Amino acid sequence: MRNWFKAKRPQLGLTGLVLGALLLLIVMTLSTIPVAAAPQSQDEPPTDETCLACHQQEGMTAQIGGQPLPITIDPEKFSTSVHGTEEVACVDCHTNITGFPHPEVTASSPRDFSLELYPTCQECHLEQYEKTLDSVHQRALAAGNNNAAVCTDCHNPHTQTRLTDKTTGELLLGARLVVPQTCAKCHSTIYETYRQSVHGAALTEEGNQYVPTCIDCHGVHDIGDPTSNSFRNSTPYLCANCHTNETLMKQFGISTNVLNTYVADFHGTTVKMFEENYPDQPTNKPVCTDCHGVHDIMRPDNPEAGIAFKKNLLVKCQQCHPDATTASFTDSWMSHYEPSPQVFPLVFFVNLFYKIFIPAVLGGMILFVLTDVYRRFIMRRAPAKGESHE
Amino acid sequence: MSTPATRTYERFPLARRIEHWTMMLSFTILAITGLPQKFPASELSIAFVYILGGIENLRMIHHFAAIVMMLGTAWHLLVFGYLGYVRRTRLSMLPNLQDMKDGWQALLYNIGRAKTPPQMGRYTFEEKMEYWAFVWGAIIMGLTGFMMWNPLTTTRLLPGEAIPAAKAAHGGEALLAVLAIIIWHMYGVHIKRFNKSMFTGRISEQEMLHEHPLELADVKAGIAERPVDTVALRKRQRIYLPVATVLALFMLLGIYGFVSAEETALTTVERQAPTVVVFVPWTATPAPTQTPTSPPTETALPTATPNATQLAAGSSTPGVASALTWDNSIGAMFQAKCASCHGAGALGGLNLSTHSDAMQGGASGPVIIAGDGANSLLVTRQKAGNHPGQLTPEEIAQVIEWIDAGALEK
Repeated sequence: MRNWFKAKRPQLGLTGLVLGALLLLIVMTLSTIPVAAAPQSQDEPPTDETCLACHQQEGMTAQIGGQPLPITIDPEKFSTSVHGTEEVACVDCHTNITGFPHPEVTASSPRDFSLELYPTCQECHLEQYEKTLDSVHQRALAAGNNNAAVCTDCHNPHTQTRLTDKTTGELLLGARLVVPQTCAKCHSTIYETYRQSVHGAALTEEGNQYVPTCIDCHGVHDIGDPTSNSFRNSTPYLCANCHTNETLMKQFGISTNVLNTYVADFHGTTVKMFEENYPDQPTNKPVCTDCHGVHDIMRPDNPEAGIAFKKNLLVKCQQCHPDATTASFTDSWMSHYEPSPQVFPLVFFVNLFYKIFIPAVLGGMILFVLTDVYRRFIMRRAPAKGESHE
Repeated sequence: MSTPATRTYERFPLARRIEHWTMMLSFTILAITGLPQKFPASELSIAFVYILGGIENLRMIHHFAAIVMMLGTAWHLLVFGYLGYVRRTRLSMLPNLQDMKDGWQALLYNIGRAKTPPQMGRYTFEEKMEYWAFVWGAIIMGLTGFMMWNPLTTTRLLPGEAIPAAKAAHGGEALLAVLAIIIWHMYGVHIKRFNKSMFTGRISEQEMLHEHPLELADVKAGIAERPVDTVALRKRQRIYLPVATVLALFMLLGIYGFVSAEETALTTVERQAPTVVVFVPWTATPAPTQTPTSPPTETALPTATPNATQLAAGSSTPGVASALTWDNSIGAMFQAKCASCHGAGALGGLNLSTHSDAMQGGASGPVIIAGDGANSLLVTRQKAGNHPGQLTPEEIAQVIEWIDAGALEK
């Protein structure tokens, strides 16, 4: 089973990023300013103080390829950022800045500039950086989509605060609250949908940190392709990571029987066996999200569209069974219930019948067979007291 | 004439043996393709499903075997009709009270409480039990199989709960059938004594004597088969033929309906994946751009060009070199070129905002030595070049001149 939930939170290597960005900014500003270049090597690399002397001024921008790039650094924010507190210096990332004027910027646009600089992050954050190489973002980038997120798009290196515990690497309390907004920078419509879902509302409105954010399902740095067959096929286990967790579900009063009841049913049995054998192949049998939704998951008892109501569930059934027209069809799916005398009694009693009938019949057979074995193979060999059995 | 030791009697004609083998094969296939579906979590099931080419394939095989079994059952019913109606054979497979007595006596005999085993006819109580268990199983499996195969049709007539109930019964009955076959049939026919009659079709007199003594007696007495009146037989055959044909057609039609009653439960429509527009950035680009307040050249950067020229122009107006003071030009020059860093921020401790601040110097000591422009730190730093907020050579010259003249404020 995939270990989605525990996807190790990165040691956010923001230091490098922050510095990188700082350097970038400096480079850009300066490079656009025609200064009489009197290149002279300086032995001491510029200190943050030196950089900030200029770059803390508000409203500074550099022109790159005719587009403005803001190059103001808020010293306050930087000093409280994880890079600031870890004393990562501007030039640790902006390594090509050795003084003023800064070297010429070769990037053709501010975006291009970010794309040139972000690999610096791997100097400190190699693990996370390498994970991103497998991500859907990196693939999009390689395919020529420059909008695809790189390190610095999610982690502003100049302001990113610490997200994980320094020693354990666990996500800090509160960090989860900012995750959806981070992703929303690019995926705003999905965020809006998520915000209204049962998960998203709990997070954004109540600040409940035990509900999934984007990364709990999609991963953090090695974000996979959510449209892939393998991702879809593994959905039941993904959801089950939380939904079979007793302690987690207890606070919501939700059953943890969702996975076993799903697998026990026709659809789940199929997907389970299918997923085991052909994780990459498509199957048209439903997984959790086909009935519950993806980003728009809502409470089943939601009066408008909750699938605890037959009419709403029937709509879901009809996605695959267009000929299903009767509401009674929806009862052929036991809605994650375990049959009991109260719920799905017929199923309960059929099961009960076989629970008694099978051992009774087989027990009788075995008993009879044993007596036959006794008579046929044991008695016959025993030196019968002058009696012939045959 | 053969001796009792070698004499054999026909037990199963070829047609019955073929029937048996057909049912046995389909039963076995149904069992091995069905049980993995009942226990999907088992590794064994998963491996088995893999071998058979996946779950969809497995189901196809299961359905195919089910059709074979249904056809076999239909055939069996037609044969039953023929034997019962046309041939008027004894219905020796029907259970009766004697079977219970036989069973009880067999049990007592096995445990040594009866002196003799039961004397039985053509079909012993063990065989009848198995036959009728199969009939019961076939009915249950057929009905519940239909319900699962055709859930849409079923739920038009029955409550939806019938489907999972059918599944429960199908699985329970399957388990029972498979285990019963293993325990009862395997032991009774293959283990306690290997019974070859389903292979050869024949049974020896010895075996007859031990297992079917009453039938042997009947055979010997010539009353095992009822006398056949050929004329009446022909007549009944002529009646049965069209009836059987119609029956057969109905049964085939039934099987066809069973298999094809509905489409979308078996071949569900292709899944419609939801489409989402993925990249919809919030307001700005990922790196939020602050809208530049004004063209960059106008920011208070240590930009060399505009202010420098201004300053140079301003300084040249008085014309008199000794007229250079902090107030009339140098202060403004420093303000324009140096204040970003050496203003209130006092980078390196140096604040060039006011004359007195400037004269105090910075962390490295005084930067202006009145009267000695060439050796003032401010001048040497600037002369070295590459200082952020670099002064032009003209400006440096003015600063030297100003310092040499005493670095006056006014």
